[in-house]
Amino acid sequence: MAQLLELTGVSVRFDGVQALSAVSLGVAAGEIVAVIGPNGAGKTSLFNAITGYVELAEGGITLSGTRIDGLTPHEISSRGVRRTFQNGGLFGELTVLENVLAGLHGRVGGSLLGVLFGSRAARTAEREAVAEARRLLDIMGVRHLERQLAKDLSGGQQRMVEIVRALATNPPLLLLDEPAVGLAPPVREQLVRTIHRLAKKEGLGILLIEHAIELVMNVSDRIVVLNYGEKIADGTPAEVRADKQVLEAYLGHA
Amino acid sequence: MSDKRWLSEPRIFYVVPVLALAIPILVNDYIQYIVNLILVYVLVGVGFNIVIGNLGQLAFANAAFFGIGAYTTGLLMYHFQVPFPLALVAGGLVGAGAGALVSLPALRGVRGFYLAIITLALGELMRWVYVHAESVTLGSMGLHVPLPFIGGIALKNDYGKFYVFLFVVVALVVSTSNLLRSRFGRAFMSIRDNELAAASVGIHTARYIVLAFAWSGFVVGVGGGLYAALVRQVSPEAFNLLELIVHFAIVTIGGLASLGGSILGAVILTAAPEFIRDLPGFEELLLATLMLVILLFLPRGFVSILARFIPAIRDRYYRE
Repeated sequence: MAQLLELTGVSVRFDGVQALSAVSLGVAAGEIVAVIGPNGAGKTSLFNAITGYVELAEGGITLSGTRIDGLTPHEISSRGVRRTFQNGGLFGELTVLENVLAGLHGRVGGSLLGVLFGSRAARTAEREAVAEARRLLDIMGVRHLERQLAKDLSGGQQRMVEIVRALATNPPLLLLDEPAVGLAPPVREQLVRTIHRLAKKEGLGILLIEHAIELVMNVSDRIVVLNYGEKIADGTPAEVRADKQVLEAYLGHA
Repeated sequence: MSDKRWLSEPRIFYVVPVLALAIPILVNDYIQYIVNLILVYVLVGVGFNIVIGNLGQLAFANAAFFGIGAYTTGLLMYHFQVPFPLALVAGGLVGAGAGALVSLPALRGVRGFYLAIITLALGELMRWVYVHAESVTLGSMGLHVPLPFIGGIALKNDYGKFYVFLFVVVALVVSTSNLLRSRFGRAFMSIRDNELAAASVGIHTARYIVLAFAWSGFVVGVGGGLYAALVRQVSPEAFNLLELIVHFAIVTIGGLASLGGSILGAVILTAAPEFIRDLPGFEELLLATLMLVILLFLPRGFVSILARFIPAIRDRYYRE
């Protein structure tokens, strides 16, 4: 399978601390890849490197064969790599609908002058965006929340809305940073079904950081294990489960 | 939903100005002057609120933008006999330029208290310029602004000025509302609420920071130009720290990040001092009391009370 996302020898350093050392991995369209590892293993650094929030010390990243390392976060987002954030990335003082509209940012037409003067074109573009945002909320079953402020939602609702916002522009690649943290079991089930549907029905490539190990084992096609910034395993859930090095990293056996 | 249909959106933008057209018939010169002053401060509040309310940056260059607009308009009329409408637009454009300039430290990642200090310093620097660039600005005594004309008609009294001011203010409030209820306004607030996440949805954050500051500077600069035409005397002391505190009070007492709040704040803080003018020291007391009430009981400003009864003035950042 041709790779959608491809990392080749990616290293990231902060003030002499090696956050990632020569990590290579790939994600294909329709594939769900989980990144696991102990705290401080470099999982979020990996996401930040892919989405342009940190500079690479070495290595390269391509999306469908085109280099994306060195681009700014908004450029990478516009090219179709969307992410969610570990601590929640919603715009708290905006409503759910406005959050999704912000997710559609690059798709809403209308020039600055057209907007200022309230031109017909700008109004039409805005109305179309609102209709599209509502359609997306409907698909994910959270349309009823559209008027609520993001900060007033429950943890599970926030994560769903953040996923809707990330998916607004139909990106080919989605990065989820600990989407299941703090979710009640039924909501977690719903999340697993959503992730599965997005990859298998819509053909998205999904890269996922997650601590909930049974969720990872259930949903992933492949699991990448990081430890101290290095990739120590990469394989199917069954392979990773049997990997000695992984057991050592997790259980601390020398 | 409790609908006050006659004030439903977007009709509020037409109903209120049309009702306001009758004001000159109803009031005397003195009150007309105060009403005009309120219109000036509506622009001051609306412009300031974009940066501190919607973009969420602690930038305190608003009195500087106001002064720059007033001086630009006044000096163009004084030195070069530039017609008032052109001089007014120039005041807005130079204000916008000043806004864009002030956004540069914010682009460099200067935030919070540091940005506050830098922008406060700009205000004081501008006052120093007004005083010392005497050959241009006429120094600490200030300048006397020539009589403004619109299309050959002299704006001799405050009744005539009112119609011009009303037109300008409505145009700028409506366009600001249009701006905020679009992808541009949503980008401002995304940056305020979560700058990293804003970039993750494809928002070019730097571009929108510059835009918010420039539009803020434009609106406040035009406000300064109207001020020059209203009082016809522009001097450095009108743009000092106390003036800035009044601007800040307009925004916070009216309602942070609320367009309706800026307007309400301008009305309250321009009109209220007139009622207690004869009681020395009460103006400061009133300001302090209002600020305390807001801090303690109404963090979203007085507009939050009003919004309960008139849904149309609630801020929404999209349009159906």
